[in-house]
Amino acid sequence: MIEEKKQSKSESPKAVSVENLTKIFQGAMGRKPLTAVRELSFNVAPGEVYGLIGPNGCGKSTTMKVMLGLLKPTVGSASVFGHDSDAVASRHDVGFLPENPYFYKHLTGRETLRFFGKLCGLGGSELRDRADAMLDLTGLKNAADRRVGGYSKGMLQRIGLAQALIHEPRLLILDEPTAGVDPAGSRRIRDLILELKARGITFVVTSHLLEQMQEVCDRVGIMSQGRMVREGRLEDLISVENQTEIIIEGASAEQLAQVRAIFAGSSGAKIMSLGKPRTTLERLFLETTVQTGDEE
Amino acid sequence: MSSTLKSSPRKYRAFSPARVWALATNTVTQLVRMKILFLLLLFVVIVVAAAFAFPTRSPEQQLKLLKDVVFGALQVFSIVMAISATALLLPRDVEDRTLYTILSKPVPRHEYLVGKLLGVLLLIGGGLLFMDVFFSGVLWLKQTMITAANIEALKSEQSDTPENIAAVRALIAHQGLTWNLHAGVWCVFLKAAVVASLALLMSCIATSTLFTILVSFCFTIAGQGQGLLRSFVFKSLPVTWKKICSFVLALLLPDLGLFDQVQAVIEGNSIPLATLAETTGFAAAYVVLYAGVAHLIFSEKEL
Amino acid sequence: MKLNRKAAAVILFVVAGAVKLPLEERFSNKLRASGLLQMPVGMEARESLGQMGFAASLGGLRSLVASITYLQAYSAFEDTDWGKVDSLMTVTTRLQPREVSYWDEASWHQAYNAASSYQRDDKLRAALRSKLYRDHVERGVEILQEGLRFLPDNPKLLIKLGTIYAERLQQPQPRKAAEMFLRAFQNGANNFYERRAAYELFKLNEHETDLQAYEIMKRYYDQGMKMKSSTIMHNLPILEERLGIPPEQRVKAQERDDPLKAPNVQPRLPQS
Repeated sequence: MIEEKKQSKSESPKAVSVENLTKIFQGAMGRKPLTAVRELSFNVAPGEVYGLIGPNGCGKSTTMKVMLGLLKPTVGSASVFGHDSDAVASRHDVGFLPENPYFYKHLTGRETLRFFGKLCGLGGSELRDRADAMLDLTGLKNAADRRVGGYSKGMLQRIGLAQALIHEPRLLILDEPTAGVDPAGSRRIRDLILELKARGITFVVTSHLLEQMQEVCDRVGIMSQGRMVREGRLEDLISVENQTEIIIEGASAEQLAQVRAIFAGSSGAKIMSLGKPRTTLERLFLETTVQTGDEE
Repeated sequence: MSSTLKSSPRKYRAFSPARVWALATNTVTQLVRMKILFLLLLFVVIVVAAAFAFPTRSPEQQLKLLKDVVFGALQVFSIVMAISATALLLPRDVEDRTLYTILSKPVPRHEYLVGKLLGVLLLIGGGLLFMDVFFSGVLWLKQTMITAANIEALKSEQSDTPENIAAVRALIAHQGLTWNLHAGVWCVFLKAAVVASLALLMSCIATSTLFTILVSFCFTIAGQGQGLLRSFVFKSLPVTWKKICSFVLALLLPDLGLFDQVQAVIEGNSIPLATLAETTGFAAAYVVLYAGVAHLIFSEKEL
Repeated sequence: MKLNRKAAAVILFVVAGAVKLPLEERFSNKLRASGLLQMPVGMEARESLGQMGFAASLGGLRSLVASITYLQAYSAFEDTDWGKVDSLMTVTTRLQPREVSYWDEASWHQAYNAASSYQRDDKLRAALRSKLYRDHVERGVEILQEGLRFLPDNPKLLIKLGTIYAERLQQPQPRKAAEMFLRAFQNGANNFYERRAAYELFKLNEHETDLQAYEIMKRYYDQGMKMKSSTIMHNLPILEERLGIPPEQRVKAQERDDPLKAPNVQPRLPQS
């Protein structure tokens, strides 16, 4: 079922390109203007999973909205697969899952998908097949004919993902895809992301759940107060230069003893720890960002 | 499941009737499932009550009363629908962030607006069509009953000469079901369309549902009186503040009074086709204007 | 760019407003001229309607408001509250001045119902009774004259007015009554009203009017049996006497004897 995506040479080298983006919201009625994003630049390569992390109010959502053309940049630009994100046509390549998605509660899951499919220019049997496939993919087949008003949070998130995927976009922008979803549900979403990534879909994801980000992201950008404070490959950011972590699945006690034995006699290297992997991104996150409300 | 990605994206069109239609029908579904059509049931009760619950008087008065009540109900229904449905849709989409999901699809903002407006108009049009058919049926029934009763009365007075019967028939038919009534319903629809597009404009400016509804109602009521203001402006009076204010208001408001030809229809007058076409032209111009201004504002709106 | 679009929206709105204003004025004047739109409600009616009623009458519900005030007038009539009937019917006719039946009924309430009710009221002194009778009949006449300003030559109103001149005044005015009936006939009323005009002219007993009455009655007489009503059969010979018609041109004696043969041809009113 899963195929590796073959990159065609004609494709734009950048899935997302944000250049020197600044967004200032004009204060209404004498209020001070608010600078949500300052001089932000980053690129996302096709097929990559890019994590955008930062505390609340750091400008992540604003950046996403600019990428989707919902907001216009004050300075700078954003483009998706070479199209300026201001142009409606750029949205053919993008699927978006907003934070806490909300759909027309009077529609059923299937109707919701068909509605969004029609908006993307799908129709007829293609649309029907596509909607069914997405219901299948997100595990909502049994709930397809129930009204969205009665969906649980996790189901809403999944139908949100299904609608984002309905038109086979090359880029998915997910805003807090696992917020408020129970552990089983969020694991499911994580698996979906990995599955889709394997198909060559590019992701831009924000999340507070850093452990999950660590599991799925190739690269992350950490934002604070509208600026990019750290950016790079995840391994590079969180690896300790002279340490190597080996994660083994399904190892028996004897196998682990053998691993210990290898290093027991070595003079240079030693095992620092052996146990479950730990969140290190979280540490980095706290070190590099200023929480909203903190003094600059 | 196809899992390869298309390297060339679907062809994008700047205006797609299919997308607009999808938005419009979705709007209709949404409103219908909000049980807004219960209003129709209320209408049915009003019509039946107006037709049969009032004491019997002269045939003209009976038919006129029925038409008065029905057209009153039609107008209230269509205006309330036009304002509340429109005002419910857009700010609610913003509040619920449904709008993000829609506009993150390849949907130009003007299509979203046109789709919503079309949806509301389809719903009002459908509702009015249903009411027109139902009301026509009741009016015809009532008319038949009155005619029969009057001919019976003539017979009992032994004055049922062919001329007398013809006169009675002509009199009742004049006040009864005619094509003009449908022209009247069309005028009601036109007015509702103008009000709906006005409410759409308001909802692009305002941020809350309540504000949109209140302001739209104020504009609608003031729009009914626009004719008064305008005639004041056009009177050769010295220019005063009052006159300037009237001028500004008349400038901003649509003349909803133009669609009150309904009143003439109730009285049994007929609207010439050319006049009806001109009225429709006015309505279309208002709708295009308000939708255009709404688009200018909405396309700049930061979401 | 951002300012531009919003500014464009405002400019478009104002410019379109300025363009539409004269067009609206022209179109609504045209509609008023053809009777498809009414003039705004006058000040007096506005007061009687109250805020709600006035707003509703503005809001395209004028006809409905008229229906409601009409029903209120009807219930005031049932309570024989004549002052209230008059003021409510006035509002009703102001709201829909082109609705014939409202004028017709408003005048009927005053000239017939109210007038007769006062005339029969034993609790009032005789002099007062007849004054009240006269005043209310005159009020009926006033209402009809006003209605005729909105609906000139409407046969239904003309007939009503003619009938009041002929039947309701303490000193009947056959000349005016005849004039109304003739006008009604000329504007589409049944030919009964031409004969009715002749009967009124007959009452005047003047040479001019006698000639006119004779012409009409003779014409119907000559049309045959159906038109020879008892009144014609009674009045024609008298007119022949008054005008000195030569014997050979006079109506035949034997027919005169049997006037009741004529059928009842009193017609129902046709619509204007």
